[in-house]
Amino acid sequence: MSRAGEGQPTQPVHEPDAAELEALLARCAAGDRAGLETLYARVAPILLAVLLRMLKRRDAAEDALQDVFVSVWQRARQFDPIRGRPLAWLVSMARYRAIDLQRAARPAVALTELSALEAQLQSEEPLDGGEMLGTGALLLRCLEQIAAPQRRCLMLAYQEGLTHSEIARAVNEPLGTVKSWVRRSLLALRRCLES
Amino acid sequence: MNYEQTELLDRLAGEYALGTLRGPARRRFERVCSQSAAARRALYRWEDDWSLLSRRLPPVQPSPRVWANVRRQLFGELARPPRTRWRTWQLTVAAGLVAVALVVGLLVRELAPPPLQTLVVLGTDSAHPVWRLERRLPLSALTMEVVGAVPPAAGKSYELWALPRGGAPVSLGLLPAAGSAERKLSEMQRSALLAADKVAVSVEPLGGSPTGSPTGPIVIVTSVPAAG
Repeated sequence: MSRAGEGQPTQPVHEPDAAELEALLARCAAGDRAGLETLYARVAPILLAVLLRMLKRRDAAEDALQDVFVSVWQRARQFDPIRGRPLAWLVSMARYRAIDLQRAARPAVALTELSALEAQLQSEEPLDGGEMLGTGALLLRCLEQIAAPQRRCLMLAYQEGLTHSEIARAVNEPLGTVKSWVRRSLLALRRCLES
Repeated sequence: MNYEQTELLDRLAGEYALGTLRGPARRRFERVCSQSAAARRALYRWEDDWSLLSRRLPPVQPSPRVWANVRRQLFGELARPPRTRWRTWQLTVAAGLVAVALVVGLLVRELAPPPLQTLVVLGTDSAHPVWRLERRLPLSALTMEVVGAVPPAAGKSYELWALPRGGAPVSLGLLPAAGSAERKLSEMQRSALLAADKVAVSVEPLGGSPTGSPTGPIVIVTSVPAAG
């Protein structure tokens, strides 16, 4: 797999080589602690970025990161290369951990988070696919085909980890509308990704 | 499987991976995945597709304490003490016969002494935490501290249980009515807690369950971190 950051030393390498990650997971499954350490060095910064985005607090995100790597060690044997990219497996573990923790943290922090988010939404991030390669670029192209309000719902769900009702509040639309937007956007996205 | 089912499965997998499938529906889909290869395939595909979006975020270097804590938790190695532990747990409380179901979202922020880590706070409602459980790392003992009013239970004891995935409940001892208690874990209790995704509190005859399994109403069931 190509590396996005090649030739740009200041640009961090976003995706470690899939074969290398698979080999590191296999070493973890075999009980090789040095394998876990190398895996940590490769992917912890990527996972922490994901966790920070979802949990907002550095200490909460780092606690979650610790949980994720404990699970990676314990479940490395369950990783099956045919399931997909190893990074997708790791990112998913981190996201699902954050979702479980968010479920716990709310409603205590939801209101403040949402106010901050509402401000952030005034300047929606552009979907810049320039640096992406292969299927990553395809995903972004397909997302671009979805109307902006619907796409914003998907991004709020994926990147910020918001629930349907939190998204509804953030974009100021009825809950039913948001649910059906998400449902239909996923269908459209699947069709586009397969085309 | 017909087309509608395939499409429904794909949509559920999409919402699971996206994160909008929540609560009991989320848990239900996990059970479906454990039984259905088609569901797993649909989920893996979405996870793969979506994960590409995560690569757009600039990586963030974790502080050194995270790796030190991972090593200590997994291998029991001595490492630098954690700076802070910030733990949040939702406690789902089902008060059996009283039929009160309440949800607690607690933010626990504290400076923990090095080897002690908050496992979970057990409570009867969001404003009334009752016990705080802390684990001594590497997992060897639990401290159970009363942090709020213990609901009166005349002539009864509150007993704590580890609920290991796919196994029978294992008693972790009686919860104190006042003050705090530290309980050393037997090897059996330790492995049960390591394998547990939940702990529960039941009301038992004074002195604890006579049978070794919960006999009275379960008044609290709550999730604990994967590694117990």
